[in-house]
Amino acid sequence: MKKILQYIKIIKLGDTFVIVTFMSLIFWSVSQSWNMPSGQYLKIENNQEDSKVFSLNQTVNKQVIGFLGSSEISIAEGKVRFVKSPCTKKYCIHHGWINKINQTIVCLPNQITISIVGDSESYDTVNY
Amino acid sequence: MRFHKLLLIVILFLVSCSQKAPIYEYKDFIFGTIVDIKIYGETEEKSENISNLIFNDFKRLHNYLHPWEKSLISSMNNAIAAGSVFNVDDEEIIRIIQDNKNLASKSENYFNPAIGKLIALWGFHQELPNQMVPKAHQINELLANVTTMDDLKINQSTLSSANRNFQLDLGGYAKGYALDRAKKILANNGVANALVNIGGNIIAIGMHGDRSWIVGIQHPRKPSAIASIQLPPGWSIGTSGDYQRYFMDHDKRYSHLINPRTGFPADNSQSATIMIPPANNSGALSDAYSKPLFIAPEIEKLQLADKLGIDFFMVVLANGDILISSKMNESIQWLEQNNEKNITVH
Repeated sequence: MKKILQYIKIIKLGDTFVIVTFMSLIFWSVSQSWNMPSGQYLKIENNQEDSKVFSLNQTVNKQVIGFLGSSEISIAEGKVRFVKSPCTKKYCIHHGWINKINQTIVCLPNQITISIVGDSESYDTVNY
Repeated sequence: MRFHKLLLIVILFLVSCSQKAPIYEYKDFIFGTIVDIKIYGETEEKSENISNLIFNDFKRLHNYLHPWEKSLISSMNNAIAAGSVFNVDDEEIIRIIQDNKNLASKSENYFNPAIGKLIALWGFHQELPNQMVPKAHQINELLANVTTMDDLKINQSTLSSANRNFQLDLGGYAKGYALDRAKKILANNGVANALVNIGGNIIAIGMHGDRSWIVGIQHPRKPSAIASIQLPPGWSIGTSGDYQRYFMDHDKRYSHLINPRTGFPADNSQSATIMIPPANNSGALSDAYSKPLFIAPEIEKLQLADKLGIDFFMVVLANGDILISSKMNESIQWLEQNNEKNITVH
C-alpha cells in the first residue's frame, strides 16, 4: 500500500494528462464497438460475379451492378438496406433495414440479393 | 520441451475437432426466382458439377412449362384457345397433366391450374403485375363457366378442351415438381446430403452432418423469420403467401393467389406453410397443396388439411392470428418475441 502511495506521489501533471487521454480513448473505443455485431457480415450477390462479403462495422454506400442496372446499398453500423434501385416497384427499398443473421432482401427484377451472414446461423435456408 | 509437444498435440486435437465437413452453395435465377443449392460433405468439384446438372434441368423445365412465355404449355394453351387439338409426343407432360388433374380434384379445385386466363386477367401473367383490378363483368364472364382440369381431355397423345377458356398455368406446381427432379438427380449421382430451395419451396436430402436441415419460415409482414423448423431427410416444405407477387389498390392488397370460386385474390390469409413427408412427389405436393390452405375459407382449411392428409401446416390469417396443426406446433421454434400472437392449435 505504501509503495502504491509512493508511485502516486511521483505522478506529474503531464503523466495525468497522458493517463486520462488513454483512459478516455479506451473507454471511447470499447463503447463504440460494444453494440457492434460480431461475426456478422453483409453478403451481396448479383447475376454476374461471385458473391462479395463486406464488414457491417462501417457506414458506406455500395454500388452493385445487376440485371437492369446499378443498385445502391447502404451499410450503416450493423444494418443494411437498399437505397436506390432501377427496378420499377422498389420493393427492395421499401423492405427497409435488416440487421440479423439470415435476413435477406432480394431484388428479383435487378437480380441482386443482400443478406446478413455469420457464424452462428440459426437456420440453413428460408421458406417463403 | 515436453510441454511444447503436449501443447502442439492439444492444438491439433482442437483444430481437428472444429473442422466440419464442407458445404458448397450455388445460386442461379430460374423460374423467375432464386434457386439455391447447398451440398454437404462432397468435394467442391462434384458439388459444382451436380449443381449445374440440376440448374440445367430446371432451365429445361422453365422453358417447357412456362405459362406465358414460349413453351410447350403455352403452345398447348394457344391451340386450345383456337379450338384445335394439340398433339404431344411427350410422356413427361402427360404425366404432369395427369398429376395436376389428380391434385386439383382431391383439393376440390382450390388448387386449380386450369384458370390461367383468370390469372392473366388479374395481370399476373407478366413479370410486373398491371396493378389494376379487372372489371366485374370480365371476372364474371370467366367465372360463369370456370375452367377446371376436367375440361382437358387426354386421348393418348392428343390434348383438347371443349371450353376454349381453358389455359393451363403450372405456376403453383412447377417449382415443387422441380424439387422432385432435383431429388432424383442428387440420388442418381450419389449425393446423400443436400438442401434445394427454389423461391422458398424447399426439399431436404439427407442431413446437415449429424443434425437435420433447419429451415426459417418467413414472416409474411416482417423482413425476418417468424419461426424455424427442422426439415427431416426427404421432407419438403412449401408456402403460399400474399407478400411476394401482389399489388396494392386503394390500400387493399391483391395477391396472385386467385380463389377459383370468387374470381378474386383470396384475402383471408397472409401465408400458408405445409410440410410433406418423403414421397416420390413430395416436392410437388408441398407446392400445390399450400394453395388450398391459403385460399379456402377458414373453416374449410381444417377440413381440407384432414382430407388431403396434411399433418404439418401453419396458416397466418389475414388478421395475423395463427392456425397451426398440433404436429407442426410440436416441432416449430418460434423466433418472434411477440406475445400478442394468437395461436390456435388444430
